[in-house]
Amino acid sequence: MTELPSDFQSYWSKTLEELAALPLAVEEEVLRSRSTDFATMYGVHLTGIGPYRLFAYLSIPRGKGPFPAIYYLPRYGSVVETIPQGTSNAKRRRYVMLSIGVRGQRNADQPFAAEFPGLLTEGIDDPNSYIWRGIVSDCYRGMEHLLTRPEVDTNRVAAVGNDLALITAGLHSGVSHVVCTPELFYSTYERAPHTNTYPLEEINDYLHLHTSSRTQVHTTLSYFDLRLFAPSVEATTLLMAQGQGEFLDAPTLEPLAQSLPGRVDVHQSEHSSFKDGVFVERWLTREFGFRRAILPARWR
Amino acid sequence: MAEAPGMKYASKVEMPSDFDQFWNSVLTKVATIPLRPEVQLDPLRSSDELTTYQVFYDSLDHVRVAGWYCVPNKSSDPLPAIIVLPGYISDPVIPKVWARRGYAALSIAPRGKVRSNHQFNPGYPGLLTHNIVDRNTYSYRGFYVDAWRGVDFLLSRSEVDPARIGVTGNSQGGGLAITTAAMRGEVRAVAAGAPYLCGFVDAIGITDTYPYQEINDYLRLYPDRRDQVVRSLAYFDGINFADKIRCPIIVNIGLQDNVCPPETGYSLFSQIGSPEKWLYEYDGHGHDAGGYMHDATVEEFFGQHLKV
Repeated sequence: MTELPSDFQSYWSKTLEELAALPLAVEEEVLRSRSTDFATMYGVHLTGIGPYRLFAYLSIPRGKGPFPAIYYLPRYGSVVETIPQGTSNAKRRRYVMLSIGVRGQRNADQPFAAEFPGLLTEGIDDPNSYIWRGIVSDCYRGMEHLLTRPEVDTNRVAAVGNDLALITAGLHSGVSHVVCTPELFYSTYERAPHTNTYPLEEINDYLHLHTSSRTQVHTTLSYFDLRLFAPSVEATTLLMAQGQGEFLDAPTLEPLAQSLPGRVDVHQSEHSSFKDGVFVERWLTREFGFRRAILPARWR
Repeated sequence: MAEAPGMKYASKVEMPSDFDQFWNSVLTKVATIPLRPEVQLDPLRSSDELTTYQVFYDSLDHVRVAGWYCVPNKSSDPLPAIIVLPGYISDPVIPKVWARRGYAALSIAPRGKVRSNHQFNPGYPGLLTHNIVDRNTYSYRGFYVDAWRGVDFLLSRSEVDPARIGVTGNSQGGGLAITTAAMRGEVRAVAAGAPYLCGFVDAIGITDTYPYQEINDYLRLYPDRRDQVVRSLAYFDGINFADKIRCPIIVNIGLQDNVCPPETGYSLFSQIGSPEKWLYEYDGHGHDAGGYMHDATVEEFFGQHLKV
């Protein structure tokens, strides 16, 4: 079991203080090619700690708001999507959508271009140099920007993604709903030796070559463990678990679910992007008070 | 939910009369460019059971293409080999899983992917519509050749049995597997999942999801270019390559695929020239195309045809 580092709170407080000292310095530009008669897409540049220039796609429905918002946290990969692959473009009629590109990802890869695999162990020997400290703060910054938009209904803001969705909700009280599919930071140090698939295989690769770094790696990862953020999450949460018997199935995630103070639903994967995808769409639709989910063709 | 389209769906794609001429001229051009293969040991990604290398080679327009190459440590030569091709937004995997199964495994990062984007980087979104009105400079002209040249890389390796090369991928990787098998006779077995880049024009009329949505975005901005786009894409449509495939092939599709509509998968399958072809339809599945169950089928298929 990962233990709470004694300076967990101050580590993140200092990180957010460092961020707060930097103006967002937002530049927004309409992207004509991604704008439609029902939604305008913007390319957004803004500053995170470092200072480091970040990127985001922001879609705003046309018409009279406010609109509920979906904040897409980055997938573990180089590409920042306008909206996630396979999502009906028509969802942009209903929701404000922000997709953040954190440091190292495309459009935010100057001067640091992340490698995949590689990002999970970048600077991992020290919590203060670990790249994910910056990445988490980038996600927080994206949330800050989203809430500056007058079109957003601040009572209905969902953070959707992997571990970063829950972490962002743990740090920022503006998140009302979370859809989290744990992937990277759930008991990582203890669980990595039990898999040989990426991205956690990166930890195994690293420790195989840097055997003397075990203690430091364990310490660094403890600052990012989902269970330590969970008690601060006020949002209603949907945890997407892997299928029964798999690495991060529902029983494995039970301690995480138990440590979330708000309402939690746990959905165990049916090994179908269709079935799991429809479940998420309907859950969010219901939570936001709509009757019908906006689904892509073939899912209707 | 809409009824599954089945084999009755007919793709709108037309075969350009000079399709073979176009691609023969591309192949003639790339044949003049030395491969210059380079292999660098990657100790970080190697272990007692396998060795991982970062590899590089030259492709069309002298673009330097990167890849990952994994070889099992305890195996007698020659090895069967697998080429693993990446999805549209995914980063190329390190193909350890195939090395553990006894294959020499090459995972390619075609131009524009991270590590292969120093000379060409149209971005994501962007790749799908980069120079889309001009078949001679369209992004996928070089992108396809980068994948096909992976075969040349494997042929340059002494540990690889040239008579036992397979190719696989999902989504864009599935589409690339189709064109690679079509254009490289050395490929002896193919497994293509949820193939993208097949039935472009059909897909943009059926879906409103990315990545195909990129084409709709383009045509919304430039509606007068539609005919040019349709003409150009016909040269790159996997359906038009399919009849050249002569080796055993399996294709899996999800009947609720929200990215690559099953209609396009059926159209592709019907055009595949190989008499040894099998289609796996997964009802209740989206773009995963039943991958969770189908992976074992893929492993068994290659084991049978490449004789691990």
